[in-house]
Amino acid sequence: MNQTLNKTSQRSQWPRQLMAVPAAEVIAAAATLASQHRVEDVTLPQAGLALMQLRDSALNEAYYPGEIPLASARVILTSADGTQHEGAAQVMHDSATFARAVAVIDAALAANLPGSEVVAPLLNRGAALLAQQSVTRKKMLARTRVDFALLGTTDEEDGDE
Amino acid sequence: MGYVAIKGGGQAIQGAEEVLEALRTAEGEHGTPLTMQAIENQLRLLTSRIVSEGGLYHPQLAALAIKQSQGDTLEAAFALRAYRSTKPRLLETSAQDTGSMRLIRRISSAFKDIPGGQMLGPTYDYALRLMRLDLANESAETFRAVAREFLAETPEPNLPDTFPKVVEALRAEGLLPPVENHTETPFDITREPLIFPVPRSAALATMARAETGSILALAYSNMRGYGDVHPTVAELRVGYLPVMLPHPITGEPVEVGEVLMTECEVVAMYEDDDSKGAPTFTLGYGACFGHNEVKAIAMAILDRALQKGMRDGPSNPSEDPEFVLLHIDGVDSMGFASHYKMPHYVTFQSDMDRLRTTQKKHESVKQQDVNEGVQ
Repeated sequence: MNQTLNKTSQRSQWPRQLMAVPAAEVIAAAATLASQHRVEDVTLPQAGLALMQLRDSALNEAYYPGEIPLASARVILTSADGTQHEGAAQVMHDSATFARAVAVIDAALAANLPGSEVVAPLLNRGAALLAQQSVTRKKMLARTRVDFALLGTTDEEDGDE
Repeated sequence: MGYVAIKGGGQAIQGAEEVLEALRTAEGEHGTPLTMQAIENQLRLLTSRIVSEGGLYHPQLAALAIKQSQGDTLEAAFALRAYRSTKPRLLETSAQDTGSMRLIRRISSAFKDIPGGQMLGPTYDYALRLMRLDLANESAETFRAVAREFLAETPEPNLPDTFPKVVEALRAEGLLPPVENHTETPFDITREPLIFPVPRSAALATMARAETGSILALAYSNMRGYGDVHPTVAELRVGYLPVMLPHPITGEPVEVGEVLMTECEVVAMYEDDDSKGAPTFTLGYGACFGHNEVKAIAMAILDRALQKGMRDGPSNPSEDPEFVLLHIDGVDSMGFASHYKMPHYVTFQSDMDRLRTTQKKHESVKQQDVNEGVQ
């Protein structure tokens, strides 16, 4: 049975959701789309680094704490009827092939092209994994919430609730 | 004094690499190679240190660097920096906002009650520093059950994705100076040499990549009395910062990944405003890749010390930008120390020649004194 794309899935979240699932599955899904639509590179897919800029919250000045891996790609998909659809991707990843796959998926999903339903299970699984990750992190916070009491100001000296 | 190159030794150098590998695998038939995942997760604080000191947020490669360097943090950071120097820089992000961090820890030593509450998260702060002998013979089953049981037994909480910053609350109360709009392009320490004076952005970038022990030592000098920051941690937070870039077609912000970071703001002594404004507290700021709390705190203290030094001139080493920034880089300082192991045969021969000449002169003067004494 074909899965449909979760309604909460937005274009801005697709790269993150796709990064949460195995890269090989994303590349395979993009290959399936590429077998149905002609794919041309607008720019050559690249893998390299991005210099990360951060704004300090003390004096509101920007600085560079370091670099992050980044892969990017931009493609045009041409459908059987000759219409063209552009897609692009920038992901914190080492593989230009992976970025190109995400760009192909971006183009197909944005235009709702035939065959794009192959990606829905991946995005839904990625979203579920990210939701689980978020719950795990929040459990770390909840389990360690602390409300220190000042010594000598309460009757209950040994409680921590 | 110049250096004289050496040649030869190729077989011995190759042999040294083989000996290193032999020691790495010395467990022999009973050994199991360390996996990248094991290093990244079970030695996560070591991995954090390397991504921070290497200046590249790549935990998987940091784990590999730790493995190949057999746990030497300086060598591992060196390897990560060498890797980054081979990669093209595709772009520079816009200034990321740490207010959007997905936190796993946030504490304040300034206030008991902070907006959103304090959460200790993963910390040794209140743990007994005693050996956990049970880990010595930990079984795979026990190991695998811990995280599973923690997740199963902790109820799903209703918490927000992000939390407000303590400094914003202080600012709202007028206890901190108002935020100024800064539009300067930050200093890129990977492309430009540190020629003093340098802007604060150069100091922050240098400290973010600093060797943890080095930056701690200089901050410690300030804490012990060679300085007057007297910091209070307004907030220390650890979490995952979503990195946002505009979509190349739509321009809409897209999350391209996330970076584990540690961030610390310290409140320091208040100062009178020269422009006749109300006195306010001053701030120091530290933030670096990975989970590195001591480093972030040390960075915040030194940031505050350097602000004073840049403005009024240094009155102690930790306020001197040149002294601090040129002595906290691990790869720089390790390289200098290690170079003393390289052959210095010609330069030392020269030292010996000069010493022998001086000794001869000394001997002749001594003999002359003896002769004059006899006469």
